[in-house]
Amino acid sequence: MNVFIEVTLDLLQGFGTTVYIFAVTLALSLPLGLIIAFGAMSSFKPLRAVIKAIVWVVRGTPLMLQIIAIFYGPYLLFGISGFDRVPSVIVAFVVNYACYFSEIFRGGIEGVPAGQREAAQALGMTRTQAFTHVILLQVVKRVVPPMSNEIITLVKDTSLARIISVAEIIMSAQEYARAGLIWPIFYTGVFYLVFVGALTLLFNFIEKKLEYIKI
Amino acid sequence: MEFLRVEGLRKKFSQTEVLKGIDFNLQKGKILVIIGASGSGKTTLLRCLNFINLPDCGKIFLGGELLFDGSKKYTERELREKRLKFGLVFQSFNLFPQYTSLDNVRLAADLLIKERTMKNKTLRAELLAENRRRAEELLVAVGLGEKLSAYPSELSGGQQQRVAIARALAAEPDVLCFDEPTSALDPWLSDEVLKLIRSLVGRTMIVVTHEMEFARKVGDYVLFMENGEIVEEGLPDEIFSNPKNERTKAFLMRGGNVE
Repeated sequence: MNVFIEVTLDLLQGFGTTVYIFAVTLALSLPLGLIIAFGAMSSFKPLRAVIKAIVWVVRGTPLMLQIIAIFYGPYLLFGISGFDRVPSVIVAFVVNYACYFSEIFRGGIEGVPAGQREAAQALGMTRTQAFTHVILLQVVKRVVPPMSNEIITLVKDTSLARIISVAEIIMSAQEYARAGLIWPIFYTGVFYLVFVGALTLLFNFIEKKLEYIKI
Repeated sequence: MEFLRVEGLRKKFSQTEVLKGIDFNLQKGKILVIIGASGSGKTTLLRCLNFINLPDCGKIFLGGELLFDGSKKYTERELREKRLKFGLVFQSFNLFPQYTSLDNVRLAADLLIKERTMKNKTLRAELLAENRRRAEELLVAVGLGEKLSAYPSELSGGQQQRVAIARALAAEPDVLCFDEPTSALDPWLSDEVLKLIRSLVGRTMIVVTHEMEFARKVGDYVLFMENGEIVEEGLPDEIFSNPKNERTKAFLMRGGNVE
């Protein structure tokens, strides 16, 4: 029993890092994703081309490779030390997830019928008012289901951080495995399941709250 | 006295010229009806009057003053001021699905009030309350006093279009435009909307419609458009009983439901 408590506490500490990476990534990549989405829809062609290229590279290469590139890249290329381990992981995750989110946002924004914006305009709303008071909530309604999918993937992707020795929960469990204790590695699954379960409840709640909007 | 004058309005979408020089004028309180086949440019004309699409050239005068000149560049802010002069009721209603009928009707004016009363909180509260009352009155006037807190999805098509009309009236436009307001509705739902539009007599209105009987009874003046041009215009009785142009005749024959 003592071992179980010890392992649980130890894994909880690793899970703290997991949740930290998750929360910071989410908080930064959502707004960045919206900005990228606006860039991708800009009427300024060169900007659109640049954004498209970035999204192509980020979605076209493994996240693990991106983490390695951001952590080791500055030193290998320019001989300077770049970010620390945790910040490296966060930068890689934020950029990666912002690109995925941007595509979801773009789909959500473009999915709102043009008539909604036109009706707002015809009533004398400014573009900003039309976006914040008419378009935005309809976008939210559209993006919640694909977004919840992506966010749940993020929870599990955080385990990639151990590639540059960030002590998230899987890495904590691996220490035990190395010492001959195997079960903690499977025990980590419980932590993920509980966390993802809570998120699923939250998303269901949000979907329910938006159910009154029929689009 | 002429209230609205449109001169040489043209609009091109990439290579296609949709409006090839539209001229007409309209007196205050009169109803102008525009008929014509789909693709003749009627809708684009209304969208240009509401500055949803910007005319490439031509002039729009309202109340004797130049409102829009296609050769000038306007800022988004200036265009917004101009948009307030015209109202538009859409074919597909375009109600905002996340708002109740009441909120659909009062939203735009609420935002305008909030914008204009940044400092004066008491005045703001007063104006907002007044706007709410007015929105309620408008919904009662269009026969939806019972549906103030209904969402668009809970209303029939005819009811939705009546909310949309109340919403357009709430902005107090000088000219109210209707873009085929009943073509998305079943015949029996069309009637309630057409009846409502008839009850608005006295306002300056432009109605694009396929309802020939309505056009004849309610219109004060009729334009027939084809291929981006006004082919024939005149009083409803002249156009419908005695069209002079061959194309008008052909269109009305196909229309079938005249008389």
